Amino acid sequence: MKAKMGESVQLQTRRNKAAKSTLTWYLFLLPTLLGIACFILYPVFESFRLSFYRSNGTIETWIGLGNYQRVLGSSAFWNAVYNTFYIAFFQLLLAIPAGFVLASMINRIKRFQSMFKVLFFLPNVTSIVAAAMIFMFVLQPEVGLINHFLDLLGLPTSPWLSDPSTSKAGVILLAVWHWLGFVIIICLANLQAISPELYEAAEIDGASSLQQWLFITIPNMAGTFAFLFIMGWISGLQRFQEVFVLGGPGGSPSRSMQTVVALIYERGFGGFEFGIASAITVLLFLIILAFTVLNLKLTRLKL
Amino acid sequence: MNLAQSQQANRRVAHIVIYVFLFVCALLVIAPFVWMVSISFDRMANIQVPFPPSFIPDLFSIFNYELVFENGRIFRAYLNSGLVTFGSVILQVSAALLGGYAFSKGRFKGKKLLFLVVLATMMVPIEARLIPLYSMFNRVGLLDTFWPVILPSILYGLGVFLTKQFFDQIPDSLREAASIDGASEFRTFFQVYAPLAGPITATLIILSFMGNWNEFVWPLVVLNSEQLQTIPLFLASFSLENGTALAGMTMALATISVVPIIIVFVCLQRYIIQSIALSGLKE
Repeated sequence: MKAKMGESVQLQTRRNKAAKSTLTWYLFLLPTLLGIACFILYPVFESFRLSFYRSNGTIETWIGLGNYQRVLGSSAFWNAVYNTFYIAFFQLLLAIPAGFVLASMINRIKRFQSMFKVLFFLPNVTSIVAAAMIFMFVLQPEVGLINHFLDLLGLPTSPWLSDPSTSKAGVILLAVWHWLGFVIIICLANLQAISPELYEAAEIDGASSLQQWLFITIPNMAGTFAFLFIMGWISGLQRFQEVFVLGGPGGSPSRSMQTVVALIYERGFGGFEFGIASAITVLLFLIILAFTVLNLKLTRLKL
Repeated sequence: MNLAQSQQANRRVAHIVIYVFLFVCALLVIAPFVWMVSISFDRMANIQVPFPPSFIPDLFSIFNYELVFENGRIFRAYLNSGLVTFGSVILQVSAALLGGYAFSKGRFKGKKLLFLVVLATMMVPIEARLIPLYSMFNRVGLLDTFWPVILPSILYGLGVFLTKQFFDQIPDSLREAASIDGASEFRTFFQVYAPLAGPITATLIILSFMGNWNEFVWPLVVLNSEQLQTIPLFLASFSLENGTALAGMTMALATISVVPIIIVFVCLQRYIIQSIALSGLKE
């Protein structure tokens, strides 16, 4: 009997101890948990709620799905979605293969490796605002750097940002320039992680360098490409800074480079149509969420 | 010439081709920077952009820089960026160290689920929260101060993730020894584990510094007064006001804004590249 009581007291204190230690750990996490509650959970739910109201920040009227109806029926929204996807698609299409080829080359050389890494990575650490400012001049049709180069090489020049039909190409060029270094760094890290034994075995079997690259390197990089692809999509869908600097919130000329986030900004802080802006936000969020789920599936993030 | 020799010669040629190709590509990548610096030092550049483009200024002078500094707003913007970045980095790094330690060493209910939530927060961009956060800070009267820019930094998902990975590699035996000596969890953290966390702390400071220094969208929404503008906001407003006129001043501003980040990057590039590659989820 006595022994049993002692046991239960022990169990009790052990339980208290466990509870106390849980509390301690939650104290460690307090800043992060506060951050999640105030700056993630609340705003996400609030966006969702606001998307069902007509609101200018002070007066709110419930209108159900009215905002969504207006957004999905407006050409401005579909134009912004088209621009966003268009720019992101070509950014990925150009930057990932180019970055991978350059990374493979850097990986093969012995000298100046880190110099090349630094040079290619430099645009990525520069703020995109400063980069956009520089590219306003680089892409200038009459005196800009690129048209001058094209002219020297005897290639046709382009009006770039001053014409709605070519302005997206200008933004893509800037986006590729800014992102290329990131692609190279990630590719390099993963290239170096491929087991050298695979190459040794292939060498013995008489495979050429090109064959090794095609049949060992590329298949082993599949996960990396998936990672870059999804990361690129997620950041591409949030594109705003460069088009804001180059064409204002309206993405001029004639809205040819207005992105979804720019539309949110224009509606929310230009027109104070918080309900409409929130509906667009929710739609954007759903698109990003879909890509994130795909991301977790493809890259099999290890926890 | 036998087979081995010819193979070696082939390889040497391939190497030279690779070097030349990389070199040309690198030149193309840094050409905009070089051009920017060249225009910024060209005396005539505010009247017309020098043409044909050259990488050496036609009439070298620091005139454009004098104009920029006369205006004075650049100093204010630097100070503002410094204040905001300093506050955000402190918050981000301390919250990440504490959180990452708890997720690595803690045994408590809901750990796995909470960690998943923290990771998921990385996927919720500021753009998806602009309007409610704006209204929230508006209601408490903090708009047009630095608080709304700094406070949200307290949540740093990537930092928590990287810190957890780091502490996972440090053995638990240290904790056991400390707990036998009767140290509390907080003492164990501050006196045993935090001093070992130098490398990850440096990484977080670098990443957080670059991120906050370049932050644009959220400050643009909450900071309206001209005297509160951070560097990116100041650059954007200058650029929107002047377009491609005043090339010399614009490029001088761009150069001034890019210099500190390039210095930091070149000095710390090994760690930056390493940490980016690591946070890029190396398989």
